Amino acid sequence: MSEELTFWEKLARIDRRVFYWILFIGLMVPFIRPLGLAITVSPSTRDLYEELRRVQPGDVCLINIAFGVSAWPECMPATAACTKLLIRQGAKLIIIGPYYDVDLSYEELKRRCAEDFAKLKYGEDYVYLGFYAGGEAVVAQLASDFRSVFPTDAYGTPLDELPMMKNINKATDIRLVLSSDTGDWCSYYIRQWRIPYGVPLAEIGIAMLGSEYMPHYRAGILFGMSVGVRGGAELEKLIGEPADATIRMDAINISHILVIIAVLLGNIGYFASRGKRR
Amino acid sequence: MSEVLRREVVYLVTAIITIIMFVEFFFIGTWSVAEELRTWAIIIANIALGLGAVRLLAEHVRNIQRRRAGVWSFSIWLIILFVVMFLSGLAGYAAKHDPSSNPVYNWLFKWPYTSLGQTLYAITGFYIFSAAYRAFRARNIDAALLLIAGCFVILTNATVGEVIWSGIPVIGRWFLDYGQVPGMRCFLIVAAFGMLAYGFRALLGRERGFYGEVAGE
Repeated sequence: MSEELTFWEKLARIDRRVFYWILFIGLMVPFIRPLGLAITVSPSTRDLYEELRRVQPGDVCLINIAFGVSAWPECMPATAACTKLLIRQGAKLIIIGPYYDVDLSYEELKRRCAEDFAKLKYGEDYVYLGFYAGGEAVVAQLASDFRSVFPTDAYGTPLDELPMMKNINKATDIRLVLSSDTGDWCSYYIRQWRIPYGVPLAEIGIAMLGSEYMPHYRAGILFGMSVGVRGGAELEKLIGEPADATIRMDAINISHILVIIAVLLGNIGYFASRGKRR
Repeated sequence: MSEVLRREVVYLVTAIITIIMFVEFFFIGTWSVAEELRTWAIIIANIALGLGAVRLLAEHVRNIQRRRAGVWSFSIWLIILFVVMFLSGLAGYAAKHDPSSNPVYNWLFKWPYTSLGQTLYAITGFYIFSAAYRAFRARNIDAALLLIAGCFVILTNATVGEVIWSGIPVIGRWFLDYGQVPGMRCFLIVAAFGMLAYGFRALLGRERGFYGEVAGE
């Protein structure tokens, strides 16, 4: 016969579906009443912003979109904010990506930066080279010979016919790289671009990558870092255009608070019922 | 060619390529031989993508033929959607050199794929929430320390932490800067030495895992 559970034991064994509902309802709150809490800028995001502000008109910057559509909420706001900033600095952009859905991400990036891209001319101010496969080997090859990886842009135009690409063929022709990713791609650029050629590199990653790349940032290998939605919100604040990430910070705040409450409840139940178990 | 000889050829090719890459990286900078080899690697990677698609189709056709319980109906859906995406993408490429110029391809990618992809990723938040409740228990002193540090870091990542108390991000950043960063740095350095050891073992023909063998056999 099953033993009757005490209140504390029940507190330590709440069904997971209860938490799913609590989180679901909790995440609805910002839609009804936005919290709009102040966002302070972390040093890694500020360094990223400051370096992008030092880009001179005509500098060629590489944006590596190494995330799929599933990571748009985390990576896209910061990528869009950096792209806007680079365009306003007068930089020329090369956009590439190792994910098969990079076309979608590129279109979304253009949509989010529509006003800025409208001032640019394709082929002269920016180029989209599209998808590339081959992992670290292809990143190494890009560093020494762009044209062996991308003989044409994503639309089949030979690189030599694109005015912007006339004198661009290797890592040292690039002013800086922004690697926006959910995995190891920034490591590839560290090993194949940053270390051998000294190309300045920054990471725009999901929150989980913050811990992985923070040692590189602290060692000066990365000039800046944007971590998850928070990084995106910080960049939006720095460029003075609150957008998606700023709104999503409300959901982040509520979900994090709920996690803390759930952990506290679990531990209270655990300690209160421990005596009985003994 | 005997199996032993064939294996030795693989080890020899691996060793030669390792030496070429090593020499290029540490002594030359850019070497045309290494560049050529990397171009081969890129071509092989692209062929592997096509091969993967063929393999995927073969596996799911087999599922349907064998009526594998709980799987074969999904395999039918996979093959139907694979064919639709492939043909519509090909039509778009043939028309305007851009697969997304085809409306069917564009619609499938833009709406079902994007929404489903983001939904799947977002669902992990619910699992993390319930897992944190069940696993984050202060069962001993080590777990208690982890719990305390974890709570501060969680509240540091959310702006609400500094609204609750301005000291939370200060403590959270201390845990990150003096706990996490050195720990991760140690891990990265050790992993780098491990990679070096792996490279030397591959160079000497002692690392045979990539050939489907267990080292030492």
